[in-house]
Amino acid sequence: MALLPLPDPSPTAALVRSSVLISQGAEAKVYRTTLHTGGGPVLLKYRFSKQYRHATLDATLTRARVAGEARALVRCLRCGVSVPGLRFVDVANGALGIEWVDGKSVRSLLGSGDEGERYREEDEDIAPAEDEDLFVGYKVPKDALMVMVGTEIAKMHLADIIHGDLTTSNMMLRHPSSTMNPLGVHQLVLIDFGLAYTSTLAEDKAVDLYVLERAFASTHPESEPLFSSVLDAYKRKMGKEWPAIGRKLEDVRLRGRKRSMVG
Amino acid sequence: MESFAYPHFSSIAHVALFDRVTNAGEIRARIVRASSLEGDEGDAEREAVSFAFIDARLVTSVLHIQTAITQALLAAAQNTLRTKTVHSEVIWALNPSNNITEALRRYGVTDDSTALFVIRIESLASIDVRSRMSAVVEGTLVPMSALAGLTDWVAVKKYNKLGGDPYIKEIQNDPAHEHHLIDNIVVSFVAMKSVSG
Ligand SMILES: Nc1ncnc2c1ncn2[C@@H]1O[C@H](COP(=O)(O)OP(=O)(O)OP(=O)(O)O)[C@@H](O)[C@H]1O
Ligand SMILES: [Mg+2]
Repeated sequence: MALLPLPDPSPTAALVRSSVLISQGAEAKVYRTTLHTGGGPVLLKYRFSKQYRHATLDATLTRARVAGEARALVRCLRCGVSVPGLRFVDVANGALGIEWVDGKSVRSLLGSGDEGERYREEDEDIAPAEDEDLFVGYKVPKDALMVMVGTEIAKMHLADIIHGDLTTSNMMLRHPSSTMNPLGVHQLVLIDFGLAYTSTLAEDKAVDLYVLERAFASTHPESEPLFSSVLDAYKRKMGKEWPAIGRKLEDVRLRGRKRSMVG
Repeated sequence: MESFAYPHFSSIAHVALFDRVTNAGEIRARIVRASSLEGDEGDAEREAVSFAFIDARLVTSVLHIQTAITQALLAAAQNTLRTKTVHSEVIWALNPSNNITEALRRYGVTDDSTALFVIRIESLASIDVRSRMSAVVEGTLVPMSALAGLTDWVAVKKYNKLGGDPYIKEIQNDPAHEHHLIDNIVVSFVAMKSVSG
């Protein structure tokens, strides 16, 4: 028999030590890693345990969150919603390995001028720098990007998946030259399904949209025309499902306004 | 043959793809016999066939194999192996259901296999794996890229229960797109097997 080495009690912890931290959220640390030599980059989402929670309860919650995120991603894949695939699951340690998306978040593409400057320098030769409407290096007009956002969210809702945390940070534009992009075109990719669940209710879909609307308003200047092109594309894709969701969206907005007047 | 190191598992996986295999039935019989042989002879025979032999028809990419190896190594490290060895665990990881016999029948070597992935997982110390593989398998060692002509996509859809998916039907006339998506789905299935169902 080939002798296997003594089992490392936590290979995932060792993997984390060799990974690069790219973001630290409230629930999870996110790293860029590789799972073996010669492997491509993988995003590692590591839900650390909360010291102040009961240990057993914590393990159960972590397990549910990891399983929930994994299931939502696979459900999206099967329905043709553009999301990254899974590469590694260590449920005992709350770790999820997710296909690396080579691109930029919609938030940073829409964001402040500084980021644009940085990209202008890197991609000077391919960027039509005089055209303000194009994201440098990505060559996608802002409006086309908003159409992609609305369409992808509609595909997700048509599959009865509620994202639960729609923000412009939780969507990325995959670069057309990325090797993991066989279609060779820009692809909008939805990420961060940690709060996702399934529901057929128009109300849940409306709340998802409202969360995104608030996120646009609080993150991006002049967000109204942007969000309205998102919504137009969404309506077109939802077809006959739209009117019920549209009515709920009005209700949800009204409640939101009342709440902000009271609070 | 390609070798992939998994430093956090202190392990290395040697992966070879053989095509035009002529002795699949014999390999299968050897594996069965090795498990019941006793004494030194038994140990030697078990060592000689200590590989994961995987029918290449149901494999969609090298990533598919690598993902099964990762999850098998994790189960070994956490003492949660569902099968006897890390090699049989790789085969178990590839099959969507929890049935070990079914996994071996579908993903393992069968009498009519003609293309095989042969995998050896061990600690970082190296042995001459390639000649040991060639001592067991009669066939032609081919590069991993040859897999593109070996995958049986109809069988992949059937065993992963994807044939009825409306979206996959929708894109069936665009094989490049369909294969890329199915690969991503089955790789995801392998990765999340511990939390599926
Ligand atoms: N698959 C991926 N490929 C590349 N980068 C990614 C991927 N997934 C996430 N990221 C990057 O990592 C960041 C954090 O990931 P994610 O949103 O999934 O984690 P999170 O902890 O839930 O984040 P937050 O709490 O900040 O919303 C993303 O905003 C994005 O920039
Ligand atoms: Mg996020």
